[in-house]
Amino acid sequence: MSELIPPFHWHTFLFSPWNDPLIATSNFWIVLMGFMVATACGLVGNYLIVRRMALVGDAISHSVLPGIAIAFLVSQTRGSTAMFIGALIAGIVTTIIIEVIHKKTRVKQDAAIGIAFTSLFAIGVILISLFAAQIDLDQECVLYGEIGYIGPEALAGEHTRIFGIPLGPITVARMILVTIATCVLIALFYKELLVSSFDPGLASSLGINATMVHYGLMSWLSVVVVSSFESVGAILVIGMLILPGATAALLTARFPRILLLTVLNAALSSLGGVHLATWLNCSPAGAMVVMASLLFSAAWIFSPHDGLIRRWYYMRGAGTSEPSEATVELTSK
Amino acid sequence: MFFMLSKRTFIYLLTALGYFLFFAGNVEAARIGDISEMSIGEQTARFFSFQDPAVRYAVIGSILLGITCGLLGSFIVVRKMALVGDTLSHAVLPGVALGFMWNMTKNPIAIFIGATIAGLIGTAVVNLIKQTTRLKEDTALGMVLAGFFAVGICMITMIQQLPTGNVSGIDKFLFGQAAAIGKDDLILMATVTVLTLLIVGIFYKEFLVSSFDAGFARVAGFPVQVLHYTLMLLLAFAVVISLQAVGVVLVSAMLITPAAAAYLLTDRMHKMIWLAAGFGMLAGLVGAFFSFLGPSLPTGPFMVLGASAVFATAFFFGPKHGVTTRWWQQRSRAKRMNRENTLKSIYHVLEDRAFKGESVSLEELKIRRAESFEEAHQRARELAAHDLATFDAKKSQIYLTPDGWQRACEIVRNHRLWELYLTNAVQFAADHVHEDAEKIEHVLGDEVVREIEKRLNYATKDPHGRDIPGLRDVEKGKRMDGAPAETIGYGRRT
Amino acid sequence: MISTARQPTSALGQAGATEAPPLEIHDLTVSYHKKPVLWGIDLVVPAGKLVGIVGPNGAGKSTLIKAVMGLLPLNSGWVKIYGKSFQKNLKRVGYVPQRESVDWDFPVNVMDVVLMGRYGHLGLIKRPSKRDREIARECLDKVKMLPYSDRQISNLSGGQQQRVFLARALAQESDVYFMDEPFSGVDAATESAIITLLHELRAKGKTILVVHHDLPTARNYFDMLLLLNMRVVAFGPTEEVFTYELLQKTYGGRLTILSEVAEAVRQKV
Repeated sequence: MSELIPPFHWHTFLFSPWNDPLIATSNFWIVLMGFMVATACGLVGNYLIVRRMALVGDAISHSVLPGIAIAFLVSQTRGSTAMFIGALIAGIVTTIIIEVIHKKTRVKQDAAIGIAFTSLFAIGVILISLFAAQIDLDQECVLYGEIGYIGPEALAGEHTRIFGIPLGPITVARMILVTIATCVLIALFYKELLVSSFDPGLASSLGINATMVHYGLMSWLSVVVVSSFESVGAILVIGMLILPGATAALLTARFPRILLLTVLNAALSSLGGVHLATWLNCSPAGAMVVMASLLFSAAWIFSPHDGLIRRWYYMRGAGTSEPSEATVELTSK
Repeated sequence: MFFMLSKRTFIYLLTALGYFLFFAGNVEAARIGDISEMSIGEQTARFFSFQDPAVRYAVIGSILLGITCGLLGSFIVVRKMALVGDTLSHAVLPGVALGFMWNMTKNPIAIFIGATIAGLIGTAVVNLIKQTTRLKEDTALGMVLAGFFAVGICMITMIQQLPTGNVSGIDKFLFGQAAAIGKDDLILMATVTVLTLLIVGIFYKEFLVSSFDAGFARVAGFPVQVLHYTLMLLLAFAVVISLQAVGVVLVSAMLITPAAAAYLLTDRMHKMIWLAAGFGMLAGLVGAFFSFLGPSLPTGPFMVLGASAVFATAFFFGPKHGVTTRWWQQRSRAKRMNRENTLKSIYHVLEDRAFKGESVSLEELKIRRAESFEEAHQRARELAAHDLATFDAKKSQIYLTPDGWQRACEIVRNHRLWELYLTNAVQFAADHVHEDAEKIEHVLGDEVVREIEKRLNYATKDPHGRDIPGLRDVEKGKRMDGAPAETIGYGRRT
Repeated sequence: MISTARQPTSALGQAGATEAPPLEIHDLTVSYHKKPVLWGIDLVVPAGKLVGIVGPNGAGKSTLIKAVMGLLPLNSGWVKIYGKSFQKNLKRVGYVPQRESVDWDFPVNVMDVVLMGRYGHLGLIKRPSKRDREIARECLDKVKMLPYSDRQISNLSGGQQQRVFLARALAQESDVYFMDEPFSGVDAATESAIITLLHELRAKGKTILVVHHDLPTARNYFDMLLLLNMRVVAFGPTEEVFTYELLQKTYGGRLTILSEVAEAVRQKV
């Protein structure tokens, strides 16, 4: 047990990722990638949270896998286009399966989500293990990604340049573009997204097609998920989708501020994650989500609005602690 | 076949299977995953001979976990807690890693305890977030799922860095490998299965009422909270014993999918539970079998696909709620209405000529229906195919059979009775009632018709002044004069 | 008259002489999210009465019933059923929750639901006996749902579902019944069937408290009315309590309802 957790020193924790120039460069790209993934996921995730669809995000982050695997098999390359199309189709298929199951039968939405994504994910895993030679993904990578490989790739000088600006390895470059596109899309469709998330009825009376917004959001979610996939893995995408947004929602109630806080949270999580991963020598993607969870816990405890401390303080001050269920019994003596 | 499966046969089947698997054959062979040169056929034969103890362990283990998951899954599905199951199954991962660190071996008991505790802490955190913040349940579930899972992943990658860590097979917990099930695991699985069967069996009534209507159950004096936590504890047990074979990621499917399939097939909870257990068993077998066929095939995904296949079958072909079944029923109902409309038109033709002559020509039908000759011909053929009418030799005249005539009378009668009912009792205008009657005439049952008759004082004229055909009209054809012995009025036997 | 609510509960101590009242509430306060919903409720309901609980939306009508039955935590006060705490008198209480509170797709049939009414008498572990089934069948017959006993509950109309809930409450064979909006969303036939049934129960000496949202009918249906709006505005015999002033006090300035009230009061005079 003790051999597993190395001793903790503030100094090493803070500076060891940046001591060596080579490691520092490598870590810079990892942090940048993590920041991009967390920003894109977190921004889209905010809409999932307000639409009470957090677990649909979970479902889609699993079910893009067969899409990617089939894209690999068909195109025989690791090309982005085929992967995007595969993931997009898989994402939309998931959305449709969930809708069909819970509209056509008495099976409720939660069970429908569970059935849809596990089936598709199972197909993906089977395809990967059957065609291991053709598909350049392994099972572990599917789960927790290979964000660590970005560093060496960047050091080897495999940069993708756009307008002469080096944007790092292809995965990072792609993610930067997707993140920028996410911000642009949210800016363009801000009011449509907000109204249809808050009140679908009002949206349709304003001439906004709520179904289109729904499928649009799901499609874009698939795009974000697939571009994050290689670095943080299928399952940790859900953490990046929900944790930053939920943390922000505890701190403020205004949507624009939530979006800003999400970006801030993304930066802190990815930076903190790299420090954590260096200290513990563990998966950086996992460490980033752990960092995001820690940030959430901090907000949960210290939030000025409804943090645990404030709640506790209020209850003591007001003297009306919420009585237990046995109160009826106790007070009727 | 599964519908017939009663509780008792189910238990006999299980005992026999267990007995056979434990004691059949003693030939020691290599573990499942090791063989890769064998053909699929040979592997299949090897699997079903159950000679290999590893195969036996894998099969028994898969069956046990299938039963436990199906049984508890039924409650999960009806309580709309499917995603709680998903979260719980991801949240156990840090516990698995901790249990593993206990002495750096795969000790089933240590892992079992660690995982159960982690799972329960996870669900407790979900509850706490729900109670103390404005965040909704789905968000809380997603966060706990991801947060705990990430902690688990970090711990696993840390273990794998250690010199002893990599050979231990902890990575098998992610996607599952039934071949990794050992004797100790099996004992644990059997214990949990028996425990689950006992608790659900003994407290079935309590679980039923608190799942259906928690408020009522509390007022009736049942410890709803205790029952809920018992269920969560059993659920955590079920998840943990399934990890080895199904893997953390897909355990929730074994909870949800067989139970959801059963939910589509029956309307009673106890039947649903047994069906779900049966389906879970089936899925377990399928998974164990397929993963046996190839060297590196994981078990969990195949089990999940087995369960999904069962669900898809129930979804499309279930006798009550199946989508295809319902589509087929709608289609045959539409066809029946079409036939009845043809019969009605034939009746109208006959009525217009005061019931003179036995047959109706296709030409008359065509004019009456305002359709093409082809369509009229098609209609007549439909009737002939259902023994409601026959053609003459030249295929230009149609004769109603006794059945056809009777059905024609009934349908016209229904139509006119309903029109009359609407005008008399509900006081619709006479020119507003036809459309409604067009739809209603096909669905009125005998009971309703009798009730309407009574309310209308057995009227004989519809609001448009036409006769409502009654019983005597059904008989009427039989009294046609000079008919040969084998011909009965409009119903001509050929 | 209205002061019934404030009557001293002196008779309580003299056990044996007369039984304690079916329901007694003292200084009950309940709050949701730091906001009080019920405030300082005092109430003594006499036995054998059909009591309607009326008040505007959000007045705490359902909350009152739930709090009485221990389904919600109390901030202060106590509740007694026949002089004892609710938990000690479970078997004497029957409950009809709002129809929307359960999932009607649940895989049970009508008979199963009514049998649940017997569960409280069975205690843990024991299964329903033949006699319990017999009772359940009688209760179904009373609400005219016996022909439907094998139906899955989602294949019932709203009124039929409500009758199943009533049959379940009857199967509890209790002395005091709490019903949460039994008349909401039911057809006229069911409404009159329910009323007949309630009168039958009352004739047997049972006490029934019904949350009701329709003012004009409230006057005809109930012996006593509890006008509720966070506090008890008035409690007493219907003819004494159903006055314009008291109703206005209960409903505040809600014009449409007030005009209905005015109409109802005018009919009465």
